[in-house]
Amino acid sequence: MTSLGAPATSFRRRAMPPDLAPERPLAWPQRTAITLANGLEVVLAESRAFPKISAQLYFRSGNAVVAHSAPGLAEMTASVVRTGTLSRSNRQIEEDLRRMGAGLGSSSGADSSAISASGLAEFSSPILELIADLARNASFPESEFERERRQRFEELKIDRTTPGFLASERLRRVLFGEHPYAILAPTEAQVAAFRREQLVEFYREHYVPAGSLLLVVGDFSTDHMIDQVKIVFGSWTASKPPLPMSPAPPHPSGRRVYLVGMPGTVQTDVVVGNLGITRRDPDWYRLTLANSIYGGAFYSRLVLNIREQKGYTYSPGSSVSALRQHGYFTVHAAVRNDVVAATVNEIFYEMDRMRSLRVTPDELDSARNYLTGVFSLGVATQHGLLGQLSTVYLDQLPEDYLETFRQRIRALTADDVMAAARRYFDSANAQIVVVGDPAEIADQAALFGPLTQYDAAGNIVA
Amino acid sequence: MVLSLARTFHIPVEHTTLANGLRVVASPDRSAPFVTVGVYYQIGFRLEPPGRSGFAHLFEHMMFQGSENAGKMEHIRLVNSSGGLLNGTTNYDITNYFESVPSNALERVLWLEADRMRALKVDEENLRNQRDVVKEEVRVNVLNQPYGGFPWLDLPPVAFRNWPNAHNFYGDFADLDAATLADVQQFFRTYYAPNNAVLLMLGDLEPAEAFAFARRYFEDIPAQPLVPRADVTESAQTEERRGEVPEKLGPLPAIAVGYTMPKRGTADWYAAAILDRVLHGGRAGRVYRKLVLEEQIAVDVDGNAELLDTNGPTQMVTRIFHKPEFTSEGTVAVFDEVIEELQRKGTTQDELADVKMKFRSDYYSMLEGGSMPRFGLMHYLACFTLFDADPNRINTILDGFLGVTADQIQSAARNYLVSRNRAVLVRRPVNLGRVP
Repeated sequence: MTSLGAPATSFRRRAMPPDLAPERPLAWPQRTAITLANGLEVVLAESRAFPKISAQLYFRSGNAVVAHSAPGLAEMTASVVRTGTLSRSNRQIEEDLRRMGAGLGSSSGADSSAISASGLAEFSSPILELIADLARNASFPESEFERERRQRFEELKIDRTTPGFLASERLRRVLFGEHPYAILAPTEAQVAAFRREQLVEFYREHYVPAGSLLLVVGDFSTDHMIDQVKIVFGSWTASKPPLPMSPAPPHPSGRRVYLVGMPGTVQTDVVVGNLGITRRDPDWYRLTLANSIYGGAFYSRLVLNIREQKGYTYSPGSSVSALRQHGYFTVHAAVRNDVVAATVNEIFYEMDRMRSLRVTPDELDSARNYLTGVFSLGVATQHGLLGQLSTVYLDQLPEDYLETFRQRIRALTADDVMAAARRYFDSANAQIVVVGDPAEIADQAALFGPLTQYDAAGNIVA
Repeated sequence: MVLSLARTFHIPVEHTTLANGLRVVASPDRSAPFVTVGVYYQIGFRLEPPGRSGFAHLFEHMMFQGSENAGKMEHIRLVNSSGGLLNGTTNYDITNYFESVPSNALERVLWLEADRMRALKVDEENLRNQRDVVKEEVRVNVLNQPYGGFPWLDLPPVAFRNWPNAHNFYGDFADLDAATLADVQQFFRTYYAPNNAVLLMLGDLEPAEAFAFARRYFEDIPAQPLVPRADVTESAQTEERRGEVPEKLGPLPAIAVGYTMPKRGTADWYAAAILDRVLHGGRAGRVYRKLVLEEQIAVDVDGNAELLDTNGPTQMVTRIFHKPEFTSEGTVAVFDEVIEELQRKGTTQDELADVKMKFRSDYYSMLEGGSMPRFGLMHYLACFTLFDADPNRINTILDGFLGVTADQIQSAARNYLVSRNRAVLVRRPVNLGRVP
């Protein structure tokens, strides 16, 4: 079987990896952006490799606008929106979707609510009609509301037994204080208190065309799709809701430690965070690059240290999250209980190293290539393209954001990285959340600052 | 109508076999300057040696720890710094390694994959390190998550009797601790041979050039004598099997019902795939409709049959999370009503047509991929090559599914969805009703 006539050893046993070939040009598909007379912004892009279309309708109001009156109301509204319209029952909606080879999502984050659907391109018109029907004519059947509410109630109970959820929830509280972004999820009591009329009111006020955004990508011709969109969404009218001002988040000084107790657990979730910035901030690019070198990629300092050298954890990492008004930087690792202090120590060591020393030319080059390559992967699928378009148009970034991202990242230097690390990897004032067994980890956690202990329901216990 | 539409969509496929037995498949698509490369080895956790639970997966980690000319972290560095993503996964019958990179990195990625197919260069410290990493992986995915491992780790020991199908796929920690470096090298020689693998190259490439690269880097890797595949056959089941596992974190009871599916590639197998979608296709599926929407017993229900990417005993599994005020027995009884109705009355023509429409759409979505472009295309091409010796099935398999008739579905429901062919597993919360 073995080929004896193989080429000479010096050639085949090549000890060095081949150089990269010349880069092929990357062309993001042309976007067509129009605003209908009713104020709905529509962005279309063709992506014709597969005979499908994907559409997302975004409203620029989410859980943040109701955080102080009815936390989680936006999300509850979104989950009931899809369960009935003036002309379709819940069952009808689900069967219509299936008939078009389509899947549907309706959800709310902090800043927006969305109805999205993806299905076979041959049904693009009825898919858009269904989205429009949900956006305009949702009927909020009482029985569906009660059923969804109960489901949400049970999901929340599961969330409160999930270490990753508890860690995220506590960190958001700590970083955002009185700002609406502090609240990641409602309490069970708050869910129990929702009334159908509140959902209807939220829907009437916020599910409106003015100021909203419709993204459509897929296997269509743009001219034809513009006509379809105008027919389906053109007659919809309603005025834009005011967006309330929010109090500024605190900027905590000094490290503090927050322990959420889950007695008996065999692992500890460690999360360290600082407030960050939005995508509209000029520092966004350099912070993104610094994050990539720190812990944002598999090939990064944090992963090399606490996974590949020390074996503390399976999937450590760091991320920069951008919400509309503010952002935050987090480092996370799920580690065995006896190395909680050692892990936090290394997290800070790596933050401080990036604040103190310039990254090497190789690291800089690797990270710039990584970010630009992975950013551009989005061009290859409808899913990726929608994700990038939603970033650009929801955050109201410059029209050429996709085209210029690579050159902006490639222009950054080691000094840029150090400047971003000094400004945003604020280790002296970082907030530390650990979720695990207090008996095993409280002493370790207390090494890093004043310690407050909570139970899984969020009550202070020590 | 449906069939003709499906046929208009065609994936170009070219394939060859190198002198050392490595199968090579290329599928060009010049629409974006990216390539996805995969190497699939025909070894999975189902096929790992008896008594060595978790070894196939631990070994997968070792493949990232260094090869002849690319030391520890070099593989990861070279892919990430080329602008790409990479990963590896261990499955029932296959273990895969894959990268999505800008197309100018194609040759580099092939060099890397060839280097680690040729020779693994790892030491005791690498093994210790990855054993620790894998234990944290098991903790974060299974031991420290509500419903962790439900039901993919819980159900097989209840459903099956033959060790390959029935053991702990992630591995008992004692077995992981017992693994030695010699075991690693032996496993590598045995299973990671070119004649036990397929190389896939998809996306922005010229097949002729890609095949030339494949020959240059892979063809002189020596073939190995292949060991007989583990015998994965199950003895005939005569009655329903039941099991119960404590749920240490989550507050709701969870039930998994698994029915063993027909043999790959048979007419029943095609029918079972559509039957699965009649029952489980999202919120329009019969099980969700009955248990969540109509009876409101369950908070969530889903299910699927992993038919395309397995090559041995496989179950269609329904997962039910039910409200604590209902009993698990009562919940299964309502589930059974759904099954019995399907057996008695079959499907309607409209329902069947709709389910097929969704099936076709989902197939395209899988092929297209998400964060890894063309992930599903790579995955299915690999399975069709390794299991069926026919990568061109990527273009014809839909015909088989879309041609299933209502009679075949009803008949599959009557023959396969029976108690002597199923296992029922309950995750019972230890903290039932106690809100923390």
